Amino acid sequence: MMMHNIMLVEGNRLMLEQLSNIINNTENVKLVARYQDANEALGQGIVFTPSVILLDADHQDSIRVLEEFSRVFPNAAIICTGEKWHAESSSLYVNAGAKCFLVKPFSSDDLTEAIASFSNSTFNTTSKVITFFSPKGKSGKTTLIANLAMAIARRSNSTVGIIDADLQFGDMALFFNLTPKSTIVEAARDTDFLSPVSLNSYYVPLVKNVSVLCGTKEPSLIDRVSIPALESLINMSKNLFQYLLIDVPAGFNPTSIAAAEMSDITYIVSMLNGGYELQHIQRALEIFKCWPDYQKRVKTLLTRVEPCTITAQKQLADAIGYPVEGIIPNAFLEISDAVDDGHMALDLNPNSILSQRINFLAKKIIMNKQDDEDDF
Amino acid sequence: MNESQIDGAIITFFSTSSAVGKTLIGINMASELAREGYSVCLADFDLQFGDVKNYLQLNTDYSITTLCDTMKTNSSHPLTPLLATYTYNNISFQVIPAPQKLEEAYTLEPDSIIDVIKKLRSQYDYIIIDTTSMFSVLNLALLDISTIVTFLGIVDFIPTIKNMKIGNDTLNTLNYDANKIRLVLNRSDAKTRIDLQDVVRILGDNFYHILPNDFESARQSIATGIPLVLSDQKSDLTRALQSLVSKYTNKGYMSTYKDKSSSWISKFFG
Ligand SMILES: Nc1ncnc2c1ncn2[C@@H]1O[C@H](COP(=O)(O)OP(=O)(O)OP(=O)(O)O)[C@@H](O)[C@H]1O
Ligand SMILES: [Mg+2]
Repeated sequence: MMMHNIMLVEGNRLMLEQLSNIINNTENVKLVARYQDANEALGQGIVFTPSVILLDADHQDSIRVLEEFSRVFPNAAIICTGEKWHAESSSLYVNAGAKCFLVKPFSSDDLTEAIASFSNSTFNTTSKVITFFSPKGKSGKTTLIANLAMAIARRSNSTVGIIDADLQFGDMALFFNLTPKSTIVEAARDTDFLSPVSLNSYYVPLVKNVSVLCGTKEPSLIDRVSIPALESLINMSKNLFQYLLIDVPAGFNPTSIAAAEMSDITYIVSMLNGGYELQHIQRALEIFKCWPDYQKRVKTLLTRVEPCTITAQKQLADAIGYPVEGIIPNAFLEISDAVDDGHMALDLNPNSILSQRINFLAKKIIMNKQDDEDDF
Repeated sequence: MNESQIDGAIITFFSTSSAVGKTLIGINMASELAREGYSVCLADFDLQFGDVKNYLQLNTDYSITTLCDTMKTNSSHPLTPLLATYTYNNISFQVIPAPQKLEEAYTLEPDSIIDVIKKLRSQYDYIIIDTTSMFSVLNLALLDISTIVTFLGIVDFIPTIKNMKIGNDTLNTLNYDANKIRLVLNRSDAKTRIDLQDVVRILGDNFYHILPNDFESARQSIATGIPLVLSDQKSDLTRALQSLVSKYTNKGYMSTYKDKSSSWISKFFG
């Protein structure tokens, strides 16, 4: 295990003591220097060759000071500390050279987690957020999101987070056969004290590069996730994952609207059932059309399409009067077999049409993100 | 003061999974009750994506929005002229369609919807209510004013059963009279690997009624806009639907249909 030399810069005398104690009680780190005054740290700290700097960011001049530290300590990882995490200032910190942000006072676990996270260099600034909206329930969304997350992570070697915000009847935990210790309810409850790094521990890792923030266990808990808390969780999660896939409750409700508003792409997902599904999509599209850029941001996906052919896709697009981004075949048996057996509905036969369609969609999403990044 | 009024029964169809047949069965219950001569009003309170108008191929501009607006501006204005009417072969019932425009659905207040139902219930023998699959403010208020809640479920795979269990437990916490909630299983013999006995054990409750799976009849009914119980062809599903209705009108317990339906019911409860 690598030893990290920590330099602590903290303006508040009492906090300086408190944080020093925490650092001294944390494994694999060593407090090599501590300063109440940032200028002193800048002038003298270099002789202690810190590998990690914990820098107090609770003052107006914090960005300038941070830039100064980045210049003087190019080889150290800088962690900003503060009373509360703010989405707006977060990217400023990162641009000024910070690796991440911790809310004070942090625990030993938070600190260890933070150091581990930037050692893996997972902290990122460009994230693609995708909401999966469906007019009605039973759209095949959960299966789709789960498999898409795996496909994106595998193909692009990126990190993917899933938020199960289908607050009443989220099935993500069940699909993955997880018994999470913490869910979106706890994360929402703690949001004022969280920063992206500490939020990470509320996610359940699934496979390499894919993690889930699971849904509520009982419907009565839904009131405990407020919209501001959800928004804050989405913002923080953007710092943790390169792709963020959000499952929301069926129909238009505060949750689905908030998530869609914050997303780069919203997929309207519907399962063909021989009824009025296409009309429901049209009805939903009418609402999304109030966004001036809806054609870029809103796409449609249909599940249980048989036969699952390009011709079918074209016909569906004509019937809806809007492009259809992807079609997924009927895979009820494949999926329910897996789920009922307590396997993850994931290790599907890679040659199946289902896998092919999902991989195709993953490729589109990855390309779309790269295009956006090239625009800068 | 009004002279004492007799309130009709309110029967609400509810579930905690989508696509379990609330709309299809609600429509058939309304139709069968109308066929037997009762005055019936069918309300579509799946406000955003309601299917009642679609399944009945009903063309009308009236909707719950009209009723709520009328109640607000003049609460003594009669509401019945503002309802749509479905008629087939001289059998007819009234319908309250979901809002024309989705944005209306988003602004309707649960309280004013409840007021509409309270006012209408003195004018019909039965009010049948279709809902969405969630514990929303509106749905909870509808469950409260209902005489009977038909809680529908299907057994297809584990997540659906988990949701049925959560739904049933949550309904139980509402402390209604024991026989207010009726657990009804739809599409019973659909392809599944799950044992019904296990489901009953998980739920801790027996099914009050069981409806068989008949995808072709259901599809055809939706495609033609004619409820199963009003069409000429009688399938097992039609008979099971009629038998369910007979339980709600106290017309004897499925005595007339025993021959056919008992075979597959006894399979589960024998
Ligand atoms: N007993 C049955 N046998 C076969 N198919 C059925 C049966 N009951 C319903 N269906 C089919 O199931 C589908 C869903 O039915 P329906 O629309 O009535 O469900 P719902 O509970 O109202 O769904 P939602 O919550 O999405 O409004 C329809 O395509 C219908 O034809
Ligand atoms: Mg319905």
